[in-house]
Amino acid sequence: MRPSFLAREPWYCRAYHQALRAFPAEFRERWGQDMRLAFADRVRDARSTRHGTPWRLIGSEVVTLVAAGVRERFQASNRPSDMIHAQDIRYAVRLLARSPGFSLLTVLVLAGGLGLSTFTFSFLHTAMMRPLPLSEGDRIVRLTRMREDGRRAPVDVVDVAMLRASMRTVRELGAYTEREVIAGREANRRVMSATVTDPVLFKVARTPALLGRALLPSDAEPGAEPVVVLSHRTWQVAFGADRAMLDAPLFINGVSTRVVGVMPEGFGFPVAQDAWLPLPTTATTATLAGTEFLSLFGRLVPRATHAQAASEATTLLKGALVARDTSGQVAPRTAMAVESFPAAQIGDERTLVFTFLNVLAALILLLALVNATTLLTARANERVRETAVRMALGASTGRLVMQGMWEGLLLCLIAGLVGTAAAAWGLDAITRWTQANMPDNLAFWWVWRMDRVTLLSAGAFVTVAIAVLGSVVSVRAIRTNVREVMQDGSARSGSRREGRIARTLVAMQVTAVTVLMFVGVLSGVMARRAVRIDPGYDPMNLLQVDLSPPVDRFPTNDARMAAFRDVEAGLVDHDALDGVLLRARLAEPRGDGGKFALREPRARGALPTANVLATLGAVSTLGIELVDGRNLNASDDRTHAPVVAISRSLAIRHWGGQSPVGAQLRLAGVGDTLQWRTIVGVVSDIPYGDPLSRDRTTDAIYVPLLQTDESSVDVFVRHTASELAGRQALHDVFGAVDPLLVPGYVFRASEVITKAGMITTGMTRLFGACFAFALLLAVAGTYGLMSRSIGLRTREIGVRRALGATDAMATRMLLAQGARQLGVGTLVAAPILAVIGAASTHFFPLGRAMTAAMGVLVSAAIVAVVLGATWLPTRKVLRVALRDALWRE
Amino acid sequence: MRPIEFEILLSLAGGERHGYAIIQDIEARSNGRLTVETGTLYRALQRLVEGDLVRPTEPRRTLPNDDERRRFYAITPEGRRAAATEAGRMASLVDAARAARLIPGGA
Repeated sequence: MRPSFLAREPWYCRAYHQALRAFPAEFRERWGQDMRLAFADRVRDARSTRHGTPWRLIGSEVVTLVAAGVRERFQASNRPSDMIHAQDIRYAVRLLARSPGFSLLTVLVLAGGLGLSTFTFSFLHTAMMRPLPLSEGDRIVRLTRMREDGRRAPVDVVDVAMLRASMRTVRELGAYTEREVIAGREANRRVMSATVTDPVLFKVARTPALLGRALLPSDAEPGAEPVVVLSHRTWQVAFGADRAMLDAPLFINGVSTRVVGVMPEGFGFPVAQDAWLPLPTTATTATLAGTEFLSLFGRLVPRATHAQAASEATTLLKGALVARDTSGQVAPRTAMAVESFPAAQIGDERTLVFTFLNVLAALILLLALVNATTLLTARANERVRETAVRMALGASTGRLVMQGMWEGLLLCLIAGLVGTAAAAWGLDAITRWTQANMPDNLAFWWVWRMDRVTLLSAGAFVTVAIAVLGSVVSVRAIRTNVREVMQDGSARSGSRREGRIARTLVAMQVTAVTVLMFVGVLSGVMARRAVRIDPGYDPMNLLQVDLSPPVDRFPTNDARMAAFRDVEAGLVDHDALDGVLLRARLAEPRGDGGKFALREPRARGALPTANVLATLGAVSTLGIELVDGRNLNASDDRTHAPVVAISRSLAIRHWGGQSPVGAQLRLAGVGDTLQWRTIVGVVSDIPYGDPLSRDRTTDAIYVPLLQTDESSVDVFVRHTASELAGRQALHDVFGAVDPLLVPGYVFRASEVITKAGMITTGMTRLFGACFAFALLLAVAGTYGLMSRSIGLRTREIGVRRALGATDAMATRMLLAQGARQLGVGTLVAAPILAVIGAASTHFFPLGRAMTAAMGVLVSAAIVAVVLGATWLPTRKVLRVALRDALWRE
Repeated sequence: MRPIEFEILLSLAGGERHGYAIIQDIEARSNGRLTVETGTLYRALQRLVEGDLVRPTEPRRTLPNDDERRRFYAITPEGRRAAATEAGRMASLVDAARAARLIPGGA
């Protein structure tokens, strides 16, 4: 506790008192009081002679004091008690440097486990638990109504006004809804995701605009000028970060709206937004229940909890429902949920997911720790005689424990640094990847980076690692039996039971790692295949966009078909394009959807299946060429006979070498059961289906789009000139058909393929890393365990050699021991591999021969690892001089 | 012996003093050219006490409103001898400097 007289001291004396902390505690205790008195005298005299605060004197005193304190600490650390620690540290460093291979292996094993645990914890914490990155973000909450089925739902607009007026635990309560709007005019239109909100949103977020202003309450008043606030990303991507956008008019859903502000980078409250529009006050003053529903946000008052707020909101809601419902019957499970935005985003499962994934990561850390412990124990075995000599020379147990601790501590610290750096890199990579690939649907708080929580979690994991490794090594040192070891000259402290346990552990390790490696290799191969997948067409100059005519403007099937026809005709006529195809996928061969029946020859048994696609336009846009008969065309509509075209592979499968043109089939799977369709053409093959699925096939039936009821299609266009001209053409033609028909996100086909490639490349790398880590664990663990197991037999080998056994015989014997454990481990792993292999070949496009070959490959790798891990300690045992090995005799 | 240690012994040779009095004495002797900070003084005092050249005495008051917690320090016989030896060494250095006409005076 601080001495009471300090309370009366002037500030400079308190500053001096704090600066004294630079000195070691022992020094402060002895001299501190004298020093403070001398300083106080000195300053008092200086004040009386100079009539003012002697700043220079005080500054010089404090700075010199800190410097002298640091020097004193440095010198104190060279005193005898600390010298022992310094010696131990140097000894541990020498030990680690003497066997760089061992040190590197242990560090890599530990770094893998520590890095993975830190990464998993930090990733999940940011995704699910971290408060919003806004001022006092932990108090910002989302209020939702819990439905009977446990799902969250927006709140009736009538209740919004009541909650806003009555809630005491939540202040600044506001309502919002999310809406897609069309911004811009004519060719420059784009779809934006906007939040229509109470202007109080910006007050709750405590975030001012970067440019201009945020929304004001007056913007929501009836008759106010229409205004919009843009997100930083929209301002940059859509408007080229043009400052002239401020106060400029922007057409939103055809209404001229003034851009009054741009929010700072990274701000997207409540989730992920392109723009914010004011929610008219009239919207939240409605009196008719059940007409509109809104989401709510607000700030908890200080010291209020989520549970208190939820309880208050539930009580208020029930009261309002009773007042509205004349029968007085309110569903007993009516409730309101008040939770943080990240919690609401993930849902109730977040605690389960968070715990489950962290437990998984912790298990991997445990596996890494077990392996590192085994390695350290193996090393301790090799040094057991040295330990015994030290004890015999008078080294205390405490000293030996400290020596062992330092080695583990250094390894853990180095591994912790490497692991944390790897985790930081991983978090950074995730952030970059998500921002590059999912900019539209990324919650604004999902920014993964090295932060305080990551560092704290890394520190916690390293501490656990130090505690585990340190205690194992210390126990080993304490248990060393000096007499036995000195007599025996080997690690005789082990017993038969210990040997048996070590051998069992080797067998278990072989099983676990074989399975892990097999899964890793299979996954890697599949991911690799997906990267190299052939889309079946040339993706260059190809644009793709979804076309879904809105039901309110195109209510009937005829209206939608007319829109499709007009779009196709408009695009065909456009100079910037030379290929147009509207395509909808009706069914896939998996399940009943793709079933079809042939009129002649009639198939026996189950109906065959194929991909069923509706098309309008030139299939040559996707590189599909006519082989026989004719292509489908725009005259194939409901007024004409039902027809289809089929792929070449399907023709060969069912008609052999004969032309199927003129034959008939019926699409049983898509509800088209009554009419027979005539095959009018055969076209070339392209593959359909998931690249990682067994269902990927070229069997396809093409139906005229105009003979279906489809409400949504993918539009493919191949542009001749620039990509911009191609995009412009899509806007022009869509707009000409209907002013509110706006292209959504226009993909480049190459972009879609690149993204798929990126995902699978990421998967390949992930599985590659898992594979490498499994291999590392296999090497480390097996070596450690074998080394221990063989070390226990040092004397036995010595006796055998003394009785005439050659080194080659001893080597064979020990390798046979390794082979036995290998055999047991592999025997247990074999049925598991068989099940995994069979499942993989059943569900994924993997050949049996290839799967078997991979199984053999993994087994061969394990054989090499185990035999190598046996041979190394065998060589060490044989190097022990016969005299040493038999000393006891 | 470091200069600061010699300065302290020189101050204490004239009688017991507390820390601030030692600082005052050194600064007065050097006409203010030498300034000693408390951190430097007490590190030197620790070395002198550990070397048995200086010993702390019982706290006492010299003035009516003096702080009774203030500790005084006295030079030990070993300290006196060490200071004398150092002074002799310095004197011989000064003689040598005079002989080399680096400073005026002497023969």
